[in-house]
Amino acid sequence: MEKRVTFSRWTIGILFAVPQLLLIFTFFYWPAGQAVYWSLTLQQPWGGGNIWVGLDNFRSILSNADYWNSISASLIFAGISTGLAMFIALVLAALTDRQLAGSRFYRVVLIWPYGIAAPALALAFRFILAPEAGFMAVVNQVWPGFWDPGLDGADAMASIIVAFSWKYVGYNFIFFLAAFQAIPRSLIEAAAMDGSGVIRRFWDIQFPLITPTIFFLLVINITESFQDSFGIVDIMTSGGPANATNLMVYKIYSDGFKGLDYSGAAAQSIILMLLIIVLTIFQFRFIERRVHYR
Amino acid sequence: MVERTPFLNFFTHVILFAGFVFCIAPFVIVTIAASHNLKDVNDVPMSLLPGNDFWVNIKTAWVTANLGPKLLNSFIMATGVAAGKVIISALTAFSIVYFRYPGRTFIFWLIFVTLMLPLEVRIVPTYAVVANVLEPFQTIMDLTGLSWLVEKVSGVHVALNLGMLNSYPGLILPLIATATGTFLYRQFFLTVPDELTEAARMDGAGPLRFFIDILLPLSRNNMAALGTIMFLWAWNQYLWPLLITTDQSHATAVTELKQLIPNVGGAPEWHIAMAGTLIIMLPPLVVVVLMQRWFVRGLIATEK
Amino acid sequence: MSIFKQGLAALAAGAFSIALAQPAAAEPVKFDFWFGLSGDLARVVDTLCKNFNASQADYEVVCTSQGNYDATLQNTIAAFRAGKQPAVVQVYDVGTATMMLSGAYKPADKLMEENGYKIDYADYFPGIARYYATSKGEMLSFPFNSSTPLMYWNKDAFAKIGKTEAPKTWEDVGADLKALKDAGYECPMAINISANESWQLMEQFSALHNQPIATKNNGYDGLDARLEVNKTKFVQYVTDLKKWYDAGLIKIKSKDLGQDMVQSFATGTCQVIMTSVGDHGTVGKTQKEGMNWDVAELPVYAGTERKNSLVGGASLWVLSGKSDAEYKGAAAFLNFIHDPKTALFWSTNTGYIPVTKSGFEYMKSTGFYDKAPYKGRETAIASLTASEPTEITRGIRLGNFTQIRAEFGTQMQAIFANKVSVQEGLDTLVKNGDAILERFQQTYPGKTLP
Repeated sequence: MEKRVTFSRWTIGILFAVPQLLLIFTFFYWPAGQAVYWSLTLQQPWGGGNIWVGLDNFRSILSNADYWNSISASLIFAGISTGLAMFIALVLAALTDRQLAGSRFYRVVLIWPYGIAAPALALAFRFILAPEAGFMAVVNQVWPGFWDPGLDGADAMASIIVAFSWKYVGYNFIFFLAAFQAIPRSLIEAAAMDGSGVIRRFWDIQFPLITPTIFFLLVINITESFQDSFGIVDIMTSGGPANATNLMVYKIYSDGFKGLDYSGAAAQSIILMLLIIVLTIFQFRFIERRVHYR
Repeated sequence: MVERTPFLNFFTHVILFAGFVFCIAPFVIVTIAASHNLKDVNDVPMSLLPGNDFWVNIKTAWVTANLGPKLLNSFIMATGVAAGKVIISALTAFSIVYFRYPGRTFIFWLIFVTLMLPLEVRIVPTYAVVANVLEPFQTIMDLTGLSWLVEKVSGVHVALNLGMLNSYPGLILPLIATATGTFLYRQFFLTVPDELTEAARMDGAGPLRFFIDILLPLSRNNMAALGTIMFLWAWNQYLWPLLITTDQSHATAVTELKQLIPNVGGAPEWHIAMAGTLIIMLPPLVVVVLMQRWFVRGLIATEK
Repeated sequence: MSIFKQGLAALAAGAFSIALAQPAAAEPVKFDFWFGLSGDLARVVDTLCKNFNASQADYEVVCTSQGNYDATLQNTIAAFRAGKQPAVVQVYDVGTATMMLSGAYKPADKLMEENGYKIDYADYFPGIARYYATSKGEMLSFPFNSSTPLMYWNKDAFAKIGKTEAPKTWEDVGADLKALKDAGYECPMAINISANESWQLMEQFSALHNQPIATKNNGYDGLDARLEVNKTKFVQYVTDLKKWYDAGLIKIKSKDLGQDMVQSFATGTCQVIMTSVGDHGTVGKTQKEGMNWDVAELPVYAGTERKNSLVGGASLWVLSGKSDAEYKGAAAFLNFIHDPKTALFWSTNTGYIPVTKSGFEYMKSTGFYDKAPYKGRETAIASLTASEPTEITRGIRLGNFTQIRAEFGTQMQAIFANKVSVQEGLDTLVKNGDAILERFQQTYPGKTLP
């Protein structure tokens, strides 16, 4: 889509874009380029020197069991939390869309969680799920040793999944509800006239019409699970126990800034970038309809 | 719809109510925990009847984590990011939509690519750049021989240095450097009738006049939506402020949460931690509640 | 320096107001000191700084806590890269190798010499000095807060099983824990297995038993040192701890789970812990009313000739790239810290031990160790000076040791969660630790430790 009427002084036009271009050059393209350079060298943490090592950083990362563990932990986290958050949101949105009494109220409240900062809700859940205080302690009194996120990797993973899903139920709800409401009422009413029941109508009409939203949310949720998980992991588990929740972004942070291995962290960043680019391309190819205006 | 589905309706109410409880329970638990004293908060099970120490705990959390200045910093950062985004994206979209110049498509793609790679994945080098924002330009001058030239001609040795660690620009600028808002405006500008532009040109208005007098007032809704969403997004940032604020005077409220985790050797002061959490989660919640319409609209428009 | 650069600096200052105000001529010279202590300890450091500022008029130290040791090192590196480093920084013991190769410091002994201060380096306890000194014995940094771990034991509980003394060998510990359990104590002993517990569990144990942690004398003799804790007595130690844990004699207490180790001892929940003498004050202040407890040296296995324990804590480094005036101030500050009276103030208000013989003598002469709340802390000195340091018990000089500690925590968690066997876990620790060491060595090609 293009404008028919435009202004002729295009030098002025470029000037309008300059602030943005300067910003993205300085804070986006340069750092991205640096990351590539760093990933091919060994940087001394205090500055003052580096050595060209070619692809050694990538080789050592890819041959490291901890890194593969981090990838699989990230994928498990992404898979389960995305599934959980989307399923719950889909059910809630579909039911809210039935517009029974009180649906306006739910429409307001169910989106609150998304406003909360990930680290803040992580601290809240850390208390709620603490094994010696809070609410899981009750469970532990009945079955001692049942809940032990400090030592049991699966429990720790479950904690961060619950915290993340809680936030993203709110997010997905907004999109699902919008998608449901975009479906013409007449379509559903016509089906109702033909005598098809509520559940039937959901599967035959509503669900097919919101599949683009499902695909879209799938990609967004997965990408967000890579990024927004940092605060949750940092507050709740610090990547432990035994690396069970050492997700990719957290590992980049801890290797780079705690372990002073800037080069290894840069190489991990590059791999993560590639992963996200692949996801985005996937998003374009399969869900183009949603991004038509770009 | 006049349909009789009593069983399904009942089921709907039950599920929705369960969803409501699921969403609201953490808020409630945090608030109740924040009202207990040290002993009660560590009771198993913790009493769900509020205790009497709410304001005492809020005050303690406020003082221990020094939340006053931290909230102010968060506010400055979030406002800065929201304002910067709203303005800079509008400028860029205007340039892309209303002008024809060589390389326009290239610039469009240059900006578009930034959508793909969030700050988190390029955090390490971005950090290095912020330590000296002019480093890219210095390097380019060195590589192109420009600094050598300048030194020969004027005898001035070029050493560009501008550190932004522990500063508001350092907090804000990297968060603005993405394309999120640009496409929102572009989409909207494309729907603005061409007649308006023609009329403006007929009246002799230049691009700047047209932009300020006509386009921006029309974009108010978009600005509110984008501003709301960016404010929330910036307020909730964690990793970036955590890294670049080594000096407490620029730390933000969200990064301060970690100080509230019960300390090694200290008592498990969950009541204080929860009081602090409550204070920190409140401002974005208020924004969501008050700006609900813009929030939903902005979210759907920016991320779609 | 150039006009252009100055112009830009002025621009930067104007636009972002990040430049610090220049002190007027009459005002004292300000310099920064970053440290990694928090809470009560941070307040004591603040008082120390105030005392220094009050003691003279020429310099003013600005003390900033960075929260913890990791963050202090991390932030210092960041600031150094940005040219905004503090003059003096507190770096923890295991950061010593990283600092030595950084090229970012001004040797402390040179600094003192240049500024006319005479420090008797022989006065430092050898166990402390050698941890921080170069192979030639030069002090690149000044020991500051120093501690060593002790065993804290609940006298009341031990009285119940008919004991009046702390167990001296691990064999006795096993028997006593069993007896405590049989006497109805839910948590006879608490340990923690996070990264930083490497200090108590791995590093101190190895020193006391004269077992190496890494080849090349724990790294003192070269960057090509590699870990070897998977074939020393440490394996048996972990095996025993795990055995006792499985039998319910040991509980894991960490703040991740709720109550941490020190707290669990102070409240009387757990009867034995091993932790730094630095916690002596905390336990005293937060203990359950009327609880009788004491400290003892860490146990060793029967038949072991006990060696000195390692010093823990941190030392003060002076960073390069500061002005002469700031260096003068930094020197005066280090001299102030070195003073026995400061040592008394410091040890009284924290649990840390004096680092010099004269400081210790001075404190003994004031009767410090005879009085109730401080009684027992001299055990730490006894533990530190149990023997002349051997080649192995001088300390640990390994690059990026923070990451090795993190790896320690990871593998211990895997072992205690029954994911891997003790030997497998320690083998992985060595394998991954060696990768870290190799990487460090590669990063500094051709360099050697001073």
